Amino acid sequence: MTRPLMFALVPLVFMVVGCTKVPTDRIASAEQAISEARAAGARTYLAERYAKLEGMLTTAKHQIATQEAKFVLLRDYSQAEELLESIQMDATRVTAEAERKREEAKAAALQAQRVAQASVKATQELLAKALVGDNRAALIALKVDADGLTASLAEVQSAVDTGDYQGAHVKAGAIAQKSETLAADVRTALAATVAAKSQKRKASRTK
Amino acid sequence: MNTPTIIAIGSCLLAVCLIVGLLFGCVQKAPPELLESVEALDQELARIRAVEYAPEEYARFVGHWVAVKGRLLSEEEEIRWPWEPNPLAAELSVLQEEGEQAAAVAQEAREEERLDAHQRLDWLEGRLARFASRIEQMGSRVVLERKPIETELLLKQGRSYYEQGLYGRSLHAVEQASRLVEDQTTILTTALARYADDERVGVWRRMVRRTVQWSATHHAAAIVITKADRRLTLYRDGHAVGSYPIRLGYNGVLQKRYQGDGATPEGSYRIIKKRDQGETRFHRALVLDYPNAEDRRRFSQDLQTGAIPAGATIREQIEIHGVGDGLMAQTLGCIMVGDRHIDQLFEQVEIGTPVTIVGAVHVANKVALALAELEEAPEEQNAEVPEETEEPVEQG
Repeated sequence: MTRPLMFALVPLVFMVVGCTKVPTDRIASAEQAISEARAAGARTYLAERYAKLEGMLTTAKHQIATQEAKFVLLRDYSQAEELLESIQMDATRVTAEAERKREEAKAAALQAQRVAQASVKATQELLAKALVGDNRAALIALKVDADGLTASLAEVQSAVDTGDYQGAHVKAGAIAQKSETLAADVRTALAATVAAKSQKRKASRTK
Repeated sequence: MNTPTIIAIGSCLLAVCLIVGLLFGCVQKAPPELLESVEALDQELARIRAVEYAPEEYARFVGHWVAVKGRLLSEEEEIRWPWEPNPLAAELSVLQEEGEQAAAVAQEAREEERLDAHQRLDWLEGRLARFASRIEQMGSRVVLERKPIETELLLKQGRSYYEQGLYGRSLHAVEQASRLVEDQTTILTTALARYADDERVGVWRRMVRRTVQWSATHHAAAIVITKADRRLTLYRDGHAVGSYPIRLGYNGVLQKRYQGDGATPEGSYRIIKKRDQGETRFHRALVLDYPNAEDRRRFSQDLQTGAIPAGATIREQIEIHGVGDGLMAQTLGCIMVGDRHIDQLFEQVEIGTPVTIVGAVHVANKVALALAELEEAPEEQNAEVPEETEEPVEQG
């Protein structure tokens, strides 16, 4: 082989080999984008689209592995690169949408939390008024339940703090529902007391 | 028609066929109905949460679907001859099969989980209703403190998750609620075990026998109160002459340990004061000599061992009283009878009349039977301590 031919071939080989390098940077970028989507709550709020992203990444990696098995000069990573680029773009969209959905879930959970807090507060105030006089023993069980609801409100806050808005929403809903039932029980007990006292007064007047 | 004309027409037809073939047959295209079918499957898999219920099958489908989509979107279209099979159609057919398989697996797993959640929720709701009824029967709800409400909240959450189709979370909530029910059973079994204890019931029976004998010997009145039966019996000359239903403290089945625990004491007492109308809020009342020496000894011991709160006192006054103006389902520790019954008692007892309060006189008492029906375990908690007062006060 003559020297001029060598000078011509070597750069050509380098060019070909250089162009068929494994797209590690793009894999890393795609993985990073998926990781960001996961951090944005895509697994919870856009589970199917998140699963697709992971499926796309697996396919891209499979395509790369297939190309790697070929002879160096025959490798072509262009399809995998396109797919990785597509993953990155999709992941960005999924991240944005997951964040939006998460904010919506958070707002709904916080609203449910406020409703539950207000309801428990009203029930506790009602109980405080009722827990005087001779009938307080009969209301002790209701007071214990109301205190249980107050304690459970802290669990709603914990769920909010850990980003479990779905859990916080459901728990707050259950607390508010039970609190309304308790308040109704207290009102019934109070009404019964008033009625009994009135009846006694009437009876004593009759005597 | 001569031969050259036929050849010319044939050539034209062939040319047209070739052109049509080149234009329409040789470009790879996915059959639209197949494509629509796969897209519909993709949506269905999302709806039934295949990612959760058939993760492997779904991942396979997604991977394949993405690859096929890539080819569909690719600008480079493969040329094929009309007689060659369409590889995209074949791929889509395989994809459809994979999607259908994933959907079937997911549907089955989801339905299985739904049924499981449904059955467990129903079972636990039923169990809780029975449990609450037994607790009511024993009058021991307060001893469980916040556990009943926590259990109820979990059950509500389980139902809510179920209605949202979140069966996994529903099952988790039901599991937590079930554990709390077990805890409560353990608490009750521990706190109320003495009602099912032969030896303890034997001691109570002897206490009652002594009181009845005292009544016979002294030709006087004596009172026996059985907490499990919620009954007060008046004896005269050793014979039962009256029996009245009673209400106890909100923790009445427990042995009283300190002021404000809501329990009704057990032991041998005497009437030390009779409060007539105008002297009590509860129509009429018979004041007992609680706490007696045994109560004080037990209180000191509990205080030393830390079995009761450090600031606890024992200054509470225990009475047998009527209803008065109140409408109490429970008392703070006293024994309540109807106004008509307290009138009868008031006339028949004197200062010094013995009052014996026991848990039960038969091993097959209501509390022991309710405990047995709970099947599992209980637990015990401290009751609230009300504000201390310098003098004993009439508690109700």
